[in-house]
Amino acid sequence: MKLRMPEMPPGTLLAALGSYNLLPAIIFLPTRRRCDESASEAALSRRAAPDERRAARHEFMLSFVEQYPEIRKHRHWDAIISAGIASHHAGHMPAWKLVIEKMMSAGLLDAIFATATVAAGVDFPARTVVVTCADRRSANGWQSLTASELQQMTGRAGRRGKDRVGFVVAAPGPHQNPQRIAELLSAQPNDLESQFRATYTSLLNLLDAFGSFAQVRRIAEKSFAHRNLLPQIRQLETTRDANETRIREALKLASVQAPVATVRGIERLANARSRLLESAPQTRREARLRWLHKWVQPGRVVATGRSGKRLTLVTARGRDGVTGVREDGRTASFSLERTGRVFAPIFSTQPDKIEEAFDEIHQRGGQLALPEPRLSDHRGEEESSIKLINDLIDSLAGPHGEVLWSLQPEAAAIEQAERQIERLRADVWEPFERCARVLDHFGYLDFELERVTDRGRWLADLRVDRPLLVGEALQRGLFGALNPVRAAGLIAAIAADEDRDYGELELDDAIVSLLVQFEEIAFEVSTEEWKQGVEAAPGINFSAAAAAANWTAQAEWIELVHETRAEEGDLVRLLSRTGEALLQVAGLRESHATAANTARAAAEIMLREPVR
Amino acid sequence: MRRSGGYRKPDGRARDRTGSSDNSRRGASSRSVEQTPDGRAETVPAVTGNYGRELRELLMGIGAPKPAPLKPDPFQLEALTALEFEDVLVTAPTGSGKTWIAREEMRRLLELGKRAWYTTPLKALTNSKYAEFSEEFGPEHVGILTGDRKENSSAPLIVGTTEIFCNQLFDSLRGGEEVGADLVVFDEAHYLADEERGHVWEEAIILTPPRIRMLLLSATIGNAAEFAAWIAEVRGVHCGVVTRPGARPVPLRAAFLMPDKRLVPLLNPQAKLNSEIARLSEQDQRDRGSGGRGRRRRW
Repeated sequence: MKLRMPEMPPGTLLAALGSYNLLPAIIFLPTRRRCDESASEAALSRRAAPDERRAARHEFMLSFVEQYPEIRKHRHWDAIISAGIASHHAGHMPAWKLVIEKMMSAGLLDAIFATATVAAGVDFPARTVVVTCADRRSANGWQSLTASELQQMTGRAGRRGKDRVGFVVAAPGPHQNPQRIAELLSAQPNDLESQFRATYTSLLNLLDAFGSFAQVRRIAEKSFAHRNLLPQIRQLETTRDANETRIREALKLASVQAPVATVRGIERLANARSRLLESAPQTRREARLRWLHKWVQPGRVVATGRSGKRLTLVTARGRDGVTGVREDGRTASFSLERTGRVFAPIFSTQPDKIEEAFDEIHQRGGQLALPEPRLSDHRGEEESSIKLINDLIDSLAGPHGEVLWSLQPEAAAIEQAERQIERLRADVWEPFERCARVLDHFGYLDFELERVTDRGRWLADLRVDRPLLVGEALQRGLFGALNPVRAAGLIAAIAADEDRDYGELELDDAIVSLLVQFEEIAFEVSTEEWKQGVEAAPGINFSAAAAAANWTAQAEWIELVHETRAEEGDLVRLLSRTGEALLQVAGLRESHATAANTARAAAEIMLREPVR
Repeated sequence: MRRSGGYRKPDGRARDRTGSSDNSRRGASSRSVEQTPDGRAETVPAVTGNYGRELRELLMGIGAPKPAPLKPDPFQLEALTALEFEDVLVTAPTGSGKTWIAREEMRRLLELGKRAWYTTPLKALTNSKYAEFSEEFGPEHVGILTGDRKENSSAPLIVGTTEIFCNQLFDSLRGGEEVGADLVVFDEAHYLADEERGHVWEEAIILTPPRIRMLLLSATIGNAAEFAAWIAEVRGVHCGVVTRPGARPVPLRAAFLMPDKRLVPLLNPQAKLNSEIARLSEQDQRDRGSGGRGRRRRW
């Protein structure tokens, strides 16, 4: 039951809340832009109203300017002081958000327009929380709020010691749904769900610490994720055990002295037999195709055409097609099925040798043609295997064939349960094994010996988001001749969110060629990851590299913000993440002394106000 | 500053907990009210006017309570008692005083010359806890470790991100320095379910040596008992669950603001959607049915 009404104008909304004495309030809006716009708009409409707290707000703000000079130039400075209204979301600077939080706690603000990020982490309660939207924006579009998310929001309503009651007010909005809000409010909180996964860092560290895959697997199977699979495994085990009991009892009842294993052995043999029968060629055409698959190979001469006289020397074979050279020197491609006779010798496919091949076939073609298959030949092969299986079944079953056969459904159920148990058991561990194969490929780990290599040891110490990429950049000497500016650009390119745009600052040629090299490495790494079934890391972000390089080249903050057109909060996050990653590289003094020095220098420049 | 030197000495543990909490909590939270030139938060207007009975009931009691000494909730004391002999998972909504539990336990340990590690999921939170604890326990007793900040790292109380704590566990497993803590606190422990970073919490819980007492502070979750049972299995130490009964420290009421700016209760006495709102939705559907997509309601 959606209510697709537009949001109330923010001034109207606040006036309504004020008339019921419901301020101060936190109003949750779906986007950063709506927060900023609403705060400005509401501030305009309230500017004229008398408010004795203006002086106090001004004083409060000024007391922060000393420590955080950047807030003085903030575009919402006036709105806050004159109207007591603020906007709060991840696009703002940490210092700005801190000031807002403190002012709210001090009772100096009437309203904060915020995105849901406020709900997590920072603590500034209000009397009222306004929810305008029953959905939230996520990477995958609009999604319904969960009970826990709404609870995080309503958790801000009602200040301990300052309010006897807190309020959650649902207000109209384009994604509003009062029915759903009502349901979510009374819903049980969501379960905590495991997000356990394999990472290069945890694998390298654990393997280096414990010395074998079995031990690392033991750790992985301690995870909450694995524990959650246990009920399923237990249930399958119960199914398996119940079927075993049934078999045992039936055997006892029939006084057959055979173990359960015999019944299961017969089931497996019967299973293999039916698979053989299914895959055996049923028609002459199938039998012939199989034969062609086996014999038509590069270097052989084959005959095609209705008369069977057109000869082709095969140069390449696809799954269902053939490419070759004809006697007149032209290339020919045709489907495997159209091949007639196949001649036994394998000739060279060098252009100057082709004539020799055709000459030989013309001279002795009759003797050289491979004998055509007959359906009965194939049948014969399959039949002898089937006879073998039948003999085995007979010898296993002995005189009790009938009883043992009657227990096949139970045996099949055991088989199936065991396969599923195996699969579930591997669920948590397998991704680690896949990571291990990728690391093995790049020489950080020896898969056969189950050992971390020397190279892997320093990679284990490199605690960054995408260690393998940074590791390969180091390993291939990309850091060798870098100055701090370029090192910062390089690291920022992967520290950034892949698709966030940090404007189009100029990059010098040296950095561009460096990033291109880096991109090639990234491609190589993700190709291997894809091959091994590891989720490949996202691409690298050139615009982030430019922003970080500029900052490290001592750009002014205001200019950087202006030129990147990025939101300040996003820029701070990018640069501080880059700084952190650089400090990790700086820690590799023993294995990469030069790179470590450069990285340290870059981090020191980078982590200056207002980034830290 | 209240305590410039060390921490205050307790006369007795139980008394200290109630006593000191009064001072520290009221000191922090009530001061701001007193200093605020905002008169509104203090006055409780009588809910009168032409409000209907429904609305009067909805707004009844709105405003500030009479100032009263903030006594610790029974669940806070229960958690502290449990921590003496087992790991504890505390689930309670934001603002109900989970941090108080951690702070009192850390105070006790510091007085005994022991050490503690306080982890948070966010840098901003780490910074604010660092400031809070530095004031509480004296800056010389508190250190901070984040990806880009390392101060007083040998202090008996370390505040830092969970990632850094987990890194220390990895290092100690690989023959590095032992993690020198007698208690680890996981603030916002429900971050375990965070898609990107949740795995770090799981690794940290699995790898923390059982000798280190564990206190997990989480928002309300559906499967607290199961979560605690897992922690106990993994660590071989019992993990108690302490939940705030009645969920919220300040009761919550739900309302809906009608397009004509009237406030109505969201729910009827049967806890179902107020029929007035339901009618509004139906009206909205009908309007859209007849008026087409382009028609928008005007305020």
